[in-house]
Amino acid sequence: MIKLDQVYKTLGQTRVLSSFSLCAEKGKITCIIGPSGCGKTTILQLLAGLEQPDAGRITGTEDARVSYVFQEPRLLLWKTVAQNIAFVLQDVVTPARQQELIEEYLFMIGLNEYRDSYPKALSGGMKQRLALCRAFAYPHDLLLMDEPFKSLDTPLRLGLVRQVARIWQANPQTIVLVTHDIMDALLLGHRVIVLSARPAAVLDEVKIDVPLEQRNVVQEPLPGYHARMLAVLEAENKKTFPNL
Amino acid sequence: MKNFSSLTRGLAPLFGLLIFIALWQVASGFYNHVILPSPLEVARSVASLTIDGRLWEHGRQSIIRGLTGFGLAVAAGVPLGLLIGVSPLLSSFFRPLVVALQVIPLISWLLLAMIWLGFSQVPAFVVFVTTLPLITINTVQGVKNIDLQLMQMSAVFRIRRSRVFREIYLPQVLPYLLAGVSTALGTTWKAVAMAEFLSVSQGIGARMALARINLETADLFAWTFILIGLGLITDRLLTYLVNKRLRHWM
Repeated sequence: MIKLDQVYKTLGQTRVLSSFSLCAEKGKITCIIGPSGCGKTTILQLLAGLEQPDAGRITGTEDARVSYVFQEPRLLLWKTVAQNIAFVLQDVVTPARQQELIEEYLFMIGLNEYRDSYPKALSGGMKQRLALCRAFAYPHDLLLMDEPFKSLDTPLRLGLVRQVARIWQANPQTIVLVTHDIMDALLLGHRVIVLSARPAAVLDEVKIDVPLEQRNVVQEPLPGYHARMLAVLEAENKKTFPNL
Repeated sequence: MKNFSSLTRGLAPLFGLLIFIALWQVASGFYNHVILPSPLEVARSVASLTIDGRLWEHGRQSIIRGLTGFGLAVAAGVPLGLLIGVSPLLSSFFRPLVVALQVIPLISWLLLAMIWLGFSQVPAFVVFVTTLPLITINTVQGVKNIDLQLMQMSAVFRIRRSRVFREIYLPQVLPYLLAGVSTALGTTWKAVAMAEFLSVSQGIGARMALARINLETADLFAWTFILIGLGLITDRLLTYLVNKRLRHWM
């Protein structure tokens, strides 16, 4: 179990987390949704060890190898698609295994034709997919994803959500995924956590027992959960922006 | 329309050059050739310098001196710039020195070099001190503009420090460094001629001094054009190499 226990975090002048607690079960997908700027990214950065908590404890990530999909693609523009993935693999796997992993994941995410292209030649969505590819190919115990489907159109988005589900089933690792989109969360999360505006607090929490491959956006219990979360998020939004 | 624009783009500079030469030809008619030689006289002078070997004999000296000073400046300026860029402590330590290096008058360096190094070393030394700040400051600028998001990404994926340096730092510093190198090369040929003029008897600058004393103004013009040519060649060469290396991603 990965746990944040009564964590406090201030960034600059802003108190982002105040006595915040959360847990993510190992080998499962935990989705976090919440309003913009509520501290979702900070939670991931704490889990990755990129930020340290001002107070409180983080447990369960001590020896974990972490992989990360950032909000931005964060690619090396001077390396080709394949070289971008090789960049993170080089220190951890053999050259032969590198090529296998690159081949496998580029194919899965539909970028195999572009393996020798430079990022300059890719569209925004393709860059984001390459970042996904890199994160999956990197051997990890914990995968953190920060709005990984942000700049993608709906059909592609759904396709990738399904693909992530398949990749997870082939290799069930711990994933913590942050998103704005309730549907992404419902299709991928074993647990979905809804956060309040800053400082973040858990407003609602749903455990979904339906296996990932059987989930359907129009089949219960997903529409019910969708309505419930939307209501919670709307009520929260009314507090911050009474006029909207 | 497209043909038209590419045609004018190719011809416009040529046309400008022709008008300049024509005006020069007309103006030279009004003056003694010691004051203003005609374009033809200058061309004849360039030809005779080339044929009797003086061009190569003295040009070679200037090129060696220029490239020595410039090469040393790159060799010292890049590491210095990287260190200043990375470390705030070293930055505050070296900053006043780099600024001082920039504002010290060239003539002071020249005279000091004559005292310290002997006349033959003066041109290379002057090139070194004038181009060193250009290389250093541009390298520092490159380091300051390194994408911190990429550094964070490398930290998450636990990339070794030496690889972060080679594969994240250097490629991002490179465009800034090349901008510095380009400016420095332009300065190199001016500085080398200036230093030779005042310190030695061989080299393009020295021959210009001689041409002035002998009132061979056409030679003075010829050497000037040779210096311009040298600058153009190195600039083109650099642009070519840069395009070859960076065109994938810049």
